[in-house]
Amino acid sequence: MNQARIEVSDLIVRYGDVTAVDNIAFAIAPGELVTLLGPSGCGKTTTLRSVAGLETPTGGTIRLNGSAVYSARERRNVPAEKRGVSMVFQSYAIWPHMTVFDNVAYGLRVRKLPQAEVRQNVERVLDLVQMQAFADRPASKLSGGQQQRVAVARAIAFSPSVLLFDEPLSNLDAKLRAEMRVELRELQRRLDITSLYVTHDQEEALAISDRVIVMNGGRIEQIGTPEDIYNRPQSRFVADFVGSANLIAGKVRGQGANGTLIFEAEGGMELEVAPSDAPRERTVVALRSSYVHLVRMPDSHNAVPGRIHRRMFHGDFIQYVVDWPAGQLIVRRPPTELFEEGSEVTVSFLPAHCVLL
Amino acid sequence: MRLPAITPRQIVMPLVVLLCGALVLYPIGFLINASLNVGDPSAFPPEEYGLDNFVNLTDDYRALANTLLVSCIATVLAVIFGFLQAWILTRTNIPGRQRLERLMELPYYMTPLIGALAWGVLLGPKTGLINQVWRSTGAPGDLFNIYSAYGIAWVMALFEGTVAFVMISAAMKSMDPSLEESSRVLGAGKLRTALRITLPLVAPGVLSATIFVFAEMLGSFAAAFVLGIPGRFYVVTTQIWQATLSFPPDYGRAAAMGLSLFGVMLITLTLARFVLKHGTYTTITGKAFRPREMDVGAMRWPLLAIAWGYIIVAVVLPLAALLLTSFERFATVILSQMRFTFANYETALQMGSVGPAFVNSLILAISVSSIGVVVIGVLAWIIYRSRMPGAGVAEYVIMFPQAVPRLVFGLGLLWAWINLPIPIYGTLWLLGLAYFTVFLPLGLRTIASVVLQVDPSLEECARVCGAGWVYQMRTVTMPLLRPGLVAAWLLIFIASVRELGVSIFLMGPNSKVIAPAIVNSWLSSSSELSAAMALIQTATVFVAVAVLFSLARRVTGATQ
Repeated sequence: MNQARIEVSDLIVRYGDVTAVDNIAFAIAPGELVTLLGPSGCGKTTTLRSVAGLETPTGGTIRLNGSAVYSARERRNVPAEKRGVSMVFQSYAIWPHMTVFDNVAYGLRVRKLPQAEVRQNVERVLDLVQMQAFADRPASKLSGGQQQRVAVARAIAFSPSVLLFDEPLSNLDAKLRAEMRVELRELQRRLDITSLYVTHDQEEALAISDRVIVMNGGRIEQIGTPEDIYNRPQSRFVADFVGSANLIAGKVRGQGANGTLIFEAEGGMELEVAPSDAPRERTVVALRSSYVHLVRMPDSHNAVPGRIHRRMFHGDFIQYVVDWPAGQLIVRRPPTELFEEGSEVTVSFLPAHCVLL
Repeated sequence: MRLPAITPRQIVMPLVVLLCGALVLYPIGFLINASLNVGDPSAFPPEEYGLDNFVNLTDDYRALANTLLVSCIATVLAVIFGFLQAWILTRTNIPGRQRLERLMELPYYMTPLIGALAWGVLLGPKTGLINQVWRSTGAPGDLFNIYSAYGIAWVMALFEGTVAFVMISAAMKSMDPSLEESSRVLGAGKLRTALRITLPLVAPGVLSATIFVFAEMLGSFAAAFVLGIPGRFYVVTTQIWQATLSFPPDYGRAAAMGLSLFGVMLITLTLARFVLKHGTYTTITGKAFRPREMDVGAMRWPLLAIAWGYIIVAVVLPLAALLLTSFERFATVILSQMRFTFANYETALQMGSVGPAFVNSLILAISVSSIGVVVIGVLAWIIYRSRMPGAGVAEYVIMFPQAVPRLVFGLGLLWAWINLPIPIYGTLWLLGLAYFTVFLPLGLRTIASVVLQVDPSLEECARVCGAGWVYQMRTVTMPLLRPGLVAAWLLIFIASVRELGVSIFLMGPNSKVIAPAIVNSWLSSSSELSAAMALIQTATVFVAVAVLFSLARRVTGATQ
């Protein structure tokens, strides 16, 4: 991948005895938005800060636009201010002692652009984030959402080649977060700017990314498109962390019809599951709770009797806890499919949705 | 790949740390060196080393006993004052508590020197204003002689009472009121709750305040100097001073005494910190709670009287006495004998060496605080932000002067700079350098509290936007630290105007400063003149505070 904007290879970051990032590698193509997703302490923010130059890695290489900004072997470490990247911080980092205009103009003035050009660029980006009316406002007088917009405007004002986002939406309330998510994606598409985005919110990661990198314990668990990650998790961690999934223990018994595999769950029940490249010794099947029906589907190979144990109404969906031969199963159905607690149902799902881990 | 070019940051950071570290360690090294000198006391480097100076300390057992006596009485009184005030002002519902709490800062601004002068005016034998009234009623002798151990202890207790108040009320405020409420809900009465819950939770705070005040007392100088010297009553600090006056000056003995005093103080202060850290229960956090107020009913009036009484006795009465005296020809409260005059103020501002002393003090205070905040600002950033290796050690060294009694540090500075080939002894340059050194901990602590509040991402963002270190410090860091820098400027200014312990050793005939000048005037000429000088010094401080506050308000008002 020679044309990659960001290329990270063999990256290791250690603090004393703690290894925060443990030998990871990925590449981001021009215009792509890639998300680092994982629980807190998984090394995603450390990775992002290493790319920005705010953290000094222990080993590996980081290339931006083809040239190394960090290389352990060449003993090269370009300081943050010389990397030409830009970043939106979790706390927004809006300077309270400046006006909105001065905040946004900072990166342009550092680069000693003529006054007229500074003004023109600031107005352009404030327009993009719909904050033109606030230019002369002191930055300390902004709401959280407005600060967020100014932080984005400041980050894109000097046309950086790469934009980094460090959990930019985590301090907003749920509704605003959903709106800003759409706007950020819109802006990123329009400017066609290569972006690396860090979040611990799996929903956010799936919604805005071209590709998602799931991290855990300093390592990469899986890299793929949002659909890939959701439908074909490659590890128990990914299945569990992204979306809601049931993990069914058991073992592969043999070949089924149409290339499926026969999987015997604990308790003796046999299921047809999706074929897999993974070795046959795998002992867990992941099944998304949204992919389980509670009435028999016409062409389903997997149909098992069950009984509603508990019903929880969430509004956008209903979550059922269903007793079935392999223990308990979490099932999410639209609020139109209402079953009483204690009623008998048929649990039914496609082999393609049973992913062997 | 060649090494990257050296950046300003790589030059400035080690330079500032090494410079400040050297300023602190250099005089202490000299102090140790002098204390081991058993040959000719004025020779440098010493011709002979030994421990005789330390062994002979037992000869000064009387000063040691005096110090312990004064310190114990003052500590007990100060903790009683502090505890009472803290309890009344944080836990009861007496009227006007907020205002009283703000007024509690005032005794601290009085300083032991002003307090000692004022109480000398009030309770000096025969001439003291209160003693005059006492005698005029026909009573025999004086009501109280302030030139005594009890007098020194009394003046110091009024001053340290505020210190104890701050520490104890902090402990009381940081206690979660639900701890007491749950005791009440579970059926315990007021008294049982106070004894079983409140007292054990506050005890570590009281204990550490006690130890802290005691340690400060051991090293205190001004009150013992003003009130002890006339009656030939010596404590360790005044004994050190005396040793340097003898001919030839016995620097070895003074240094050994100073180092021993410093050792004892360091142990006590460490003990105070240990008690606060390990004796405190985890439920007392840094978080400030709104303490539950106790309805004290009719008791509120006596309690209100106690609270105001402390402020009147510690601030109003002494200031009034100084004010009255400064306008009189002879200090008196007998109406028929009063003769009012402005002569004292005129003399204070004109007199050969006194007028210049005021000017010198102002020049020193303004330049030390102005240069100091910039250097200490960078230093605070380096220590608490830069992640530079060795920052922890640097912090420890810079905070060192805090634990050394000012007078002892002054002795070290004197000995160190006399023996340096640079001819700055006896000039304002040396005083400025000395002030900067001893006020490093004060400035660092003040600015550090602001540095720690500034979100690191504000600076990181500047870097990512393309700013180099110097540009970032100038446009982001320093403006954000402004409240801390202003506060530090003010504190260093005030401390410089009042500095006594170091100045008394380092000032020369052409570099007189105000605090030693006041003391000299007190010991050699009139109390009326001294009162005028002390009031001018106090007024200078108040004017500076007022100007800076209105300035600060205008600056913050403009940005809002």
